[in-house]
Amino acid sequence: MSASLLVLIPLLPLIGFLINGIGFRRIPRGAVGIIGSLAALGSFAVSVVVLMAFKEAGSTPQVVSLFDWISVGELSIPFSFQIDQLSLLMLMIVTGVGSLIHVYSAGYMKEDEGFGKFFAFLNLFLFFMLLLVMGSNYVIMFIGWEGVGLCSYLLIGFWNKNTDYNNAARKAFIMNRIGDLGFLLGIFTIIGTFGSVEFTEVFRQATGLPVGDPVVVVITLLLFVGATGKSAQIPLFTWLPDAMAGPTPVSALIHAATMVTAGIYMVIRSNVLFTLAPATLEVVAIIGTATALLAASIGLLQNDIKKVLAYSTVSQLGYMFLALGVMAYSASMFHVITHAFFKALLFLGAGSVIHAMSGEQDIRFMGGLRKKLPITFITFLIGTIAIAGIPPFAGFFSKDEILAHAFEHNKVLWVLGLLGSIMTSFYMFRLLFLTFFGSFRGTHEQAHHLHESPTSMTLPLIVLAVFSALGGFMGVPEVLGGTHQLATFMSPLYEGARQVNPAAFAATTLSHSEEYLLMGISVVAALVAALAAYVVYVRRDSVPAPETQERPALQRVIYHKYYIDELYDAVFVKPIRTLSALLFSFGEFFIDLVVNGTGTLVKVLSGQLRRTQTGSTGYYIFAMVVGIVLILFWNLLLR
Amino acid sequence: MYPIVLLSVLGIVVLFLGFMKSKSVLLPATLLFLVLALASNFIDWNQGKVLYFYEMLAVNNLTLAFNAIVLVSAFMIVAMTRGFQDQEEAQPAEYYGIMLFSLVGAFMIIGYEHLIMLFVGIEILSVSMYILTGSDKSNLRSNEAALKYFLMGAFATGIMLFGIALLYGATGSFNLTDIQSYVSIQGRGVSYILYAGLLLLLIGMLFKVSAAPFHFWTPDVYDGAPTIFTTFMSTIVKTAGFAAIFRLLSHSFTPIYSFWWITLAAITVLTLLVGNIIAVYQNSFKRMLAYSSISHAGYLLIAVTSLSPQTENAILFYSLAYSIATISAFGVLMLVSKKKALEGQVDESYAAFNGLAAQNPLLAFVLAVSMLSLAGIPLTAGFWGKFFVFGSAVERGLVWMLVVAVLMSAVGIYYYFRAIIAAYLKEGDIGKIRIAPFYRIILVVATAMTILFGLAPGIFEKLL
Repeated sequence: MSASLLVLIPLLPLIGFLINGIGFRRIPRGAVGIIGSLAALGSFAVSVVVLMAFKEAGSTPQVVSLFDWISVGELSIPFSFQIDQLSLLMLMIVTGVGSLIHVYSAGYMKEDEGFGKFFAFLNLFLFFMLLLVMGSNYVIMFIGWEGVGLCSYLLIGFWNKNTDYNNAARKAFIMNRIGDLGFLLGIFTIIGTFGSVEFTEVFRQATGLPVGDPVVVVITLLLFVGATGKSAQIPLFTWLPDAMAGPTPVSALIHAATMVTAGIYMVIRSNVLFTLAPATLEVVAIIGTATALLAASIGLLQNDIKKVLAYSTVSQLGYMFLALGVMAYSASMFHVITHAFFKALLFLGAGSVIHAMSGEQDIRFMGGLRKKLPITFITFLIGTIAIAGIPPFAGFFSKDEILAHAFEHNKVLWVLGLLGSIMTSFYMFRLLFLTFFGSFRGTHEQAHHLHESPTSMTLPLIVLAVFSALGGFMGVPEVLGGTHQLATFMSPLYEGARQVNPAAFAATTLSHSEEYLLMGISVVAALVAALAAYVVYVRRDSVPAPETQERPALQRVIYHKYYIDELYDAVFVKPIRTLSALLFSFGEFFIDLVVNGTGTLVKVLSGQLRRTQTGSTGYYIFAMVVGIVLILFWNLLLR
Repeated sequence: MYPIVLLSVLGIVVLFLGFMKSKSVLLPATLLFLVLALASNFIDWNQGKVLYFYEMLAVNNLTLAFNAIVLVSAFMIVAMTRGFQDQEEAQPAEYYGIMLFSLVGAFMIIGYEHLIMLFVGIEILSVSMYILTGSDKSNLRSNEAALKYFLMGAFATGIMLFGIALLYGATGSFNLTDIQSYVSIQGRGVSYILYAGLLLLLIGMLFKVSAAPFHFWTPDVYDGAPTIFTTFMSTIVKTAGFAAIFRLLSHSFTPIYSFWWITLAAITVLTLLVGNIIAVYQNSFKRMLAYSSISHAGYLLIAVTSLSPQTENAILFYSLAYSIATISAFGVLMLVSKKKALEGQVDESYAAFNGLAAQNPLLAFVLAVSMLSLAGIPLTAGFWGKFFVFGSAVERGLVWMLVVAVLMSAVGIYYYFRAIIAAYLKEGDIGKIRIAPFYRIILVVATAMTILFGLAPGIFEKLL
């Protein structure tokens, strides 16, 4: 595989960014979308070629070094890309789903005045995301990690004339920074422990360590802190729902399909380290499960179409971490992939609805849209079935695999996971029914304006719907007569981990009948929840209460997202502000005194010293003679 | 050796070219001669140490590198004279001739192996400078500056000659290598005559590079001289002077380092303090640059005082970075003050730059980069210059001196940034300034070099 080919993958979006970013005032609107989309599609095409070449060459991972980047003392950090099963899978998701969303955006954002800027940012995001997944060491990964955070910030606050949106952007950025600090400390610890940041080298050395090594536990915990920030897990999840302030394609691409899965990618990438640290894995599993449940429960009562999807994303990410926590790395990756399909689909569908509703996002004012937006409805329905975990759609296979592994690991986790999936099914069907069924509840003008979206928007919906429906077949488990191609494909990634902890990778102990039973239970539960939603929102035609109405205590707590934002505000934000004000007044007084005092002192000194420059030659020569005498006297007589 | 011979002859050729009716051939001819000299300079490249003229002149890669810096600076400065077309009284042929002769002097003090060669070189260089300082004959300040420079220069020359004589008396030789072998055999037991001779010689040389307390001539002379020749003095004389001091101390007097370093350290600190602190009070940009040149002499002296293996490279890099930045700063000043003079008021103060960025973004940028480089802000060559100099001091363990130096470079930021603030933040009514194409190229190249060496200082080492 030639280096020049690989370089093209991130380079094309970068070029797109430069063209649109520098020339967005001059390039005509029509060309902007084409340039941006072509950059993404080109990158996708190259990725496909690379994948083919990789398979042809016998699926051996390889590191392609571009140049020596940092060399300090013993530490050398090359700028190089690693091509293996994991980075290829991520490449396919990022460039594939990314391309579809670029095409969609060309239609969705057409009317926006910042069209060129939008595509520039979108391309830049793609560039950083590709660096993140292709880098062959933690530092390159970190560049991408920071870069996608920056782009996320820029795109959440894309409509920067709205203060709330800017606040949301800032919140996302700050929360991510907290996580990034953990990641950075993790990298430093890795450098301190292994003397390298190259994946291959770190993992090679790590296989020599015993399971439960305390340093590795520290490293993995720090890395996981980074993951909780980027992948919106407890306690750093509250930024993601607020991030819905950004344009809908951004929510689909960055805050559902790609960036938020970076944390999962990082853990899978470091699977050797995590396998060595069972304690960390326990934490990961618990945090993942708790996040899945918490977010799903909040999703039950939200009325903003994008907020529901946002909480759903947080909850699904929780499932992925649950899978990581029980060392079902492939299952987690499987869910990343299927989730990328159906969640991108759902977001883009929601975007199509919002587009038709002229910007309305509250589902209490929708209803009966299925006749006016047939394509959106059908694709949204497919997405909903997929995420609810009803076979044979994609979500069923991946979620069921996670639950099966959780069952094997710990029955409590399985019960909680199942509970979460019941809630998932309920809130998703509630969303579907309130939006597309019943009668229209919006204004007369909105009703008049309703229309199906243009082809550039419906085409990505259809493609994603096909993948959401069929995507699960890449991982049909053995019990259903499949071979689980994905797990087979990914299995070389765990060689190191298998070496340090063979027990974790033993074949499943579940009998076929047990597996059938587990599947049956989760499918029936999902169907019952869907039915319940049908009864409540279609049969009885009930609509969620308006904002003003008093709610029962429990509902109120959930509706207000457990008051977590308020809690953070009281515990962190307010004290920090007070402290900051205190330090500020201290700085104003004391530090300014010292600084300005020094300045004044120098100036006064300067004014005095300046007088030595009298302009009289006689005086100058006299001063020189004094100097010469002093030098000679001191050197020759006093020493 | 070759540039010395070449420029001695070509300087005379330039004088003869002055007899021609058309003066326009002078500038290209001089530039061509400088290029020829630069090319001939590298004939001896990588030949190891070669001695010429009965062992009176040494040539090695170090002296050639210094020669190259001097020649490149001279090329830029000569290019910025634009043939002195706009001055009616100017005598371009003589100016160019004298500049070329002064370069011969510079090469001699860079490469001297014999103290007489040093003396002759310094005299050639100094006498040329006296003349050029006073070249603006109708300007009283120019005349005054020339006279002052000459009086004090003569005094310093006397001191230096006395020092050379004492050294000869102590060692029986003018030859650096002979002196070196004498000093290393005797060690600290050498006679007081040698100590006195060394100190007096050093004082004479420190005068030329304007170290305190022998700096008094600098502000008055730099201020009074025509700006173009101020540029010449503050870059070429300084580079050559430091090459001479460094060669003297590193070649002959390392065995008695413990004797001279304290004196030099005291002078260094005094120079840093005087240069930086007085510069704060100046309202004239040109005068500020004069004090700035004193303060940079202080930084260069740090490298000389520490005399570590890094010193050689540090002095070379620092001289280059300082010369380029100074040339572009003076280059911008000349354009702006000429514009002001055309409008009827001579103005070389900071206020002259007010509002420069509005209509002359290139000039403002060139000025800003040169100020940043002189202040030693990262991503400019000046930062690495300071870095290498400070690095050599750390190697010698002179941390207390670094504390002073770092504090003083903080002071430096104040007066360098005033120019940037004037150009970018203050309101002003400077119109569009017309820049001759060649002049523009020189400014752009100088700025590009400052940034390039700032981004990748390794390039410089590769060049050596």
